Amino acid sequence: MTTIHLKNGKVFDPTNRVFNKKKDVYIRDGKFVKSLKKKADQIIDCTDKIVMPGAIDLHTHIGGGKVNIARLMLQEFHNNSDRDYDLTADFVPSTLKTGLQYIGMGYTSCFEPALLPMNARQSHSEMADIPFVDKGGYALLGNDDYLLNLISRGAHQSEINDYVAFILKASQCIGIKVVNAGGINAFKFNQRALNVDEKSIRYKITPRKIVNVLARAVYELGVPHPLHVHCSNLGVPGNFKSTIETIKAAEGLPIHITHIQFHSYGDNGDRKFSSASAEITEYLNKVPNLTCDVGQVMFGQTVTMSGDSMTQHKNHKHAHPKKWLCMDIECDAGCGVVPFKYRDQSFVNALQWAIGLETFLLAEDAEKIFLTTDHPNGGPFTSYPHLIKLLMDKTFRDDLLARLAIDISEHTILKDIKREYTLSEIATMTRSAPAKILGLKNKGSLSDGVDADITVYDTRLSDIEDMFAHPSHVIKDGILVVENGKIKDYIWGKTQVVRPEYDPSIVKKLDKHFKKYNTIGLSNFVISNDEMSEVIGSDVNINDCVRKRIS
Amino acid sequence: MSKISDSINYKNIACPFCSLHCDDIELDINDNKIHIKSDISASCKEKFEKNNSQTVNKVSPTVNGKASNFSNALKKAKQIVKNSNESVIMNASSDVNIAREMLTTSSKINGIYDHVNSATFLKNLSIFQRKGFMCTSLSEIKNKSDVIVLFSNSILKKYPRLTTRILAPENSFSINPKKKQIYIIGNKKNNIKDSSIKDSRITYIDFNNKDIPKLLDSLINKVNESRLSNKIFNNLAKSIDGSKYLSMIWATSEFMKYDTCDEIINNISDYVLSINETSRAACLTLAGNEGDASSVQTSGWLTGFPSRIKFTGDYFEYDRDLYNAESLIESNNIDLVIYINAISNKELSLNKKNKNIVIGHPSTKFNIEPHVFLPCGIPGIDYKGLIFRTDNVVTLPLSSIKIPTYRSVQEILRGITS
Repeated sequence: MTTIHLKNGKVFDPTNRVFNKKKDVYIRDGKFVKSLKKKADQIIDCTDKIVMPGAIDLHTHIGGGKVNIARLMLQEFHNNSDRDYDLTADFVPSTLKTGLQYIGMGYTSCFEPALLPMNARQSHSEMADIPFVDKGGYALLGNDDYLLNLISRGAHQSEINDYVAFILKASQCIGIKVVNAGGINAFKFNQRALNVDEKSIRYKITPRKIVNVLARAVYELGVPHPLHVHCSNLGVPGNFKSTIETIKAAEGLPIHITHIQFHSYGDNGDRKFSSASAEITEYLNKVPNLTCDVGQVMFGQTVTMSGDSMTQHKNHKHAHPKKWLCMDIECDAGCGVVPFKYRDQSFVNALQWAIGLETFLLAEDAEKIFLTTDHPNGGPFTSYPHLIKLLMDKTFRDDLLARLAIDISEHTILKDIKREYTLSEIATMTRSAPAKILGLKNKGSLSDGVDADITVYDTRLSDIEDMFAHPSHVIKDGILVVENGKIKDYIWGKTQVVRPEYDPSIVKKLDKHFKKYNTIGLSNFVISNDEMSEVIGSDVNINDCVRKRIS
Repeated sequence: MSKISDSINYKNIACPFCSLHCDDIELDINDNKIHIKSDISASCKEKFEKNNSQTVNKVSPTVNGKASNFSNALKKAKQIVKNSNESVIMNASSDVNIAREMLTTSSKINGIYDHVNSATFLKNLSIFQRKGFMCTSLSEIKNKSDVIVLFSNSILKKYPRLTTRILAPENSFSINPKKKQIYIIGNKKNNIKDSSIKDSRITYIDFNNKDIPKLLDSLINKVNESRLSNKIFNNLAKSIDGSKYLSMIWATSEFMKYDTCDEIINNISDYVLSINETSRAACLTLAGNEGDASSVQTSGWLTGFPSRIKFTGDYFEYDRDLYNAESLIESNNIDLVIYINAISNKELSLNKKNKNIVIGHPSTKFNIEPHVFLPCGIPGIDYKGLIFRTDNVVTLPLSSIKIPTYRSVQEILRGITS
């Protein structure tokens, strides 16, 4: 039995409506408790310190085929000399470095948003090798021939729900994501674009239909995280209209639009590229059941990696350095890896940067918007402290805007936005809100019985970026893993999953399909809990689902 | 825990031996012996069933070629490792979990991690490390590819079920499988001999694959300057021009003997890229049967690099020339090689000028006796594991189907470094 007492800290615990309140926190056996009967084994003096639950990144590409392709493609960038042991680049770190950097910033749970069911073993194996953090994945559906065929032949929603629930179980995932609904599949049949209401050549169904059916499945199965949607037309000027149409496709059901910055573009002005953050955030602010993460762009070298092979093939002409890879994957989905450098001399890149910030600042409710760079697509997750400073410090933000190599002041309202995020809002968007939207009842708060994941920041570090980059203490599952900024102990987190129920008759249908068309058997497609813990190397934690019905 | 006398039936077992890793094997275990029930090729069957022989199950560890017990051999191995100044940990065939352990070992002993097939797979990686690459995977080829070009001299022998399971299947859902056109280009005699089926969809073309660049130029320019007859060339060109999803498949290992190797793989890739400007096409490079894909992927996520990694204690670094184990061994720049051979039947070529420790399955062959040989179990036969398929996308679970006679590689490596 290990006990820890965090004493005299200023606590931010949005779930319990505690904001900047001096309060002691107690931990026993890996969980928060209201009090301890005896003196704690370990007392951490949190005077002049801020105490928050461990941070949660709900959209970060940290494990799977495309991540590893990027690592192997971009070896010349693995020369990060300010790190001791592991020189891999911040935008494609090794698994070890991923864990070290996340925990070093006080993040204790991270979610891979594009886990191909056919590639699930690799994704989980990689993530199992990331130390410290809990992790999870969103299974990619909506471009798999099996589902598209079901929709195309007008299968009943209940059959689709069963399939979705089976995939969640088989691939050990916590949510469902759709990327360019139907578009990746259509690219395999040589379609080069697919708008929201355009029918694919092969299946004669629209992205709207796919999003609708999947949003409904996720809702009816009671999966806490709404359908995670990478919209059609990523990066295309004027795409904000198709983003709004995609939101409408959910017909009021919960929907999460990911890296919304890349989908908030107008096509006004001389350059036919403009910000549509106002239109998008207006929608975000008024539509219930709609959440988003931003996918903020940061200047510098990175690599874009996506299941969206249709878009990535188009984007390869912008590769920097000039190399790239696109792949069609197992009648399941695809992937594209294109290195890219965001330059502040570029009008488009500078405006992308501003659009992301506008989106953050115009969104009224910190529970509906999440802090991401779509690592590494907009920039590495290591830039979060810098991003937080941009949100919290208007002067800093305005200075950077003024210092951009290209003047975009005519094209952005950023300078006119006075808002500065508060610490409470940062705590909400990085802790309580992601826990809530993922259905992680044991994360994101300091409530009694919740997993003792905690981050302590030192307010004596006057620069807010410095403070968020270097927490003094991080506790994961009740174990002090970072002390005075140094790694103290290595531990391994769990894989967070959900297990909605399904009618077992779907297994028979899928078995038949696999035998006839796939190149592995269904039984080997399914990853069991035992395999996760004994072979892949990560125990699973099952989160609750509550079945719902649309009246 | 099952007893040796138990009789157990297993279905859907993944084969660890060739990188297709077909997972539809049915087998019985009686008296701890494997009896294949599926209708698979004799060569695949033999790889499983040879593990039944008494000889295979009574292999002793050796020290300097003489039989020893495990603890003595382990002790000797520990001593050799301790006295080594510069060691190589050579992956001669493993699954993911063994590769994980090998990298941990390399880090513990400050060694160099490399794979026996590095020279080949680094050429494949170099395609997308220098320019664009469009690739595909087995199920896409099976279901979507209407025209397939396989460059092969002996691929069908190395991957015995490639034709029936992938290239010329009975069922495909996006196209009419009967209308698939499959061109197998290379040593026609070998290819016909190695193909287990007669299939009207397959056209065997006799061709010296050294001249693939000329063939591709001819296809691009639509002027036959290859050595093919005009009739054969025109048929091939017509099929490709009319294809909706062309797959071009090869194993770079087959081209290593040609001075045009780099040119061949780059030209195929460029040709496929050009087709994608207006239609769809993709490449598939077949990985070797020595767990190449598992090694590359595991090393990739743990270090960022595919192989040839030197661990120093303070950091690790990659240099495809400096840490080329083969060159280091040949030039006597290392004093110890630890070979791990958990799966492959390929003979290990040991150099007598350095110390050699071999941790290998009991049928492992070598040209000279290693200083220490420690027999190990096979993932997929004796131990559970994970292995990447040839397309680097799908990872198959490997089962423990027998009660193991030997320790796992992981246990032995931990013993050496403990």
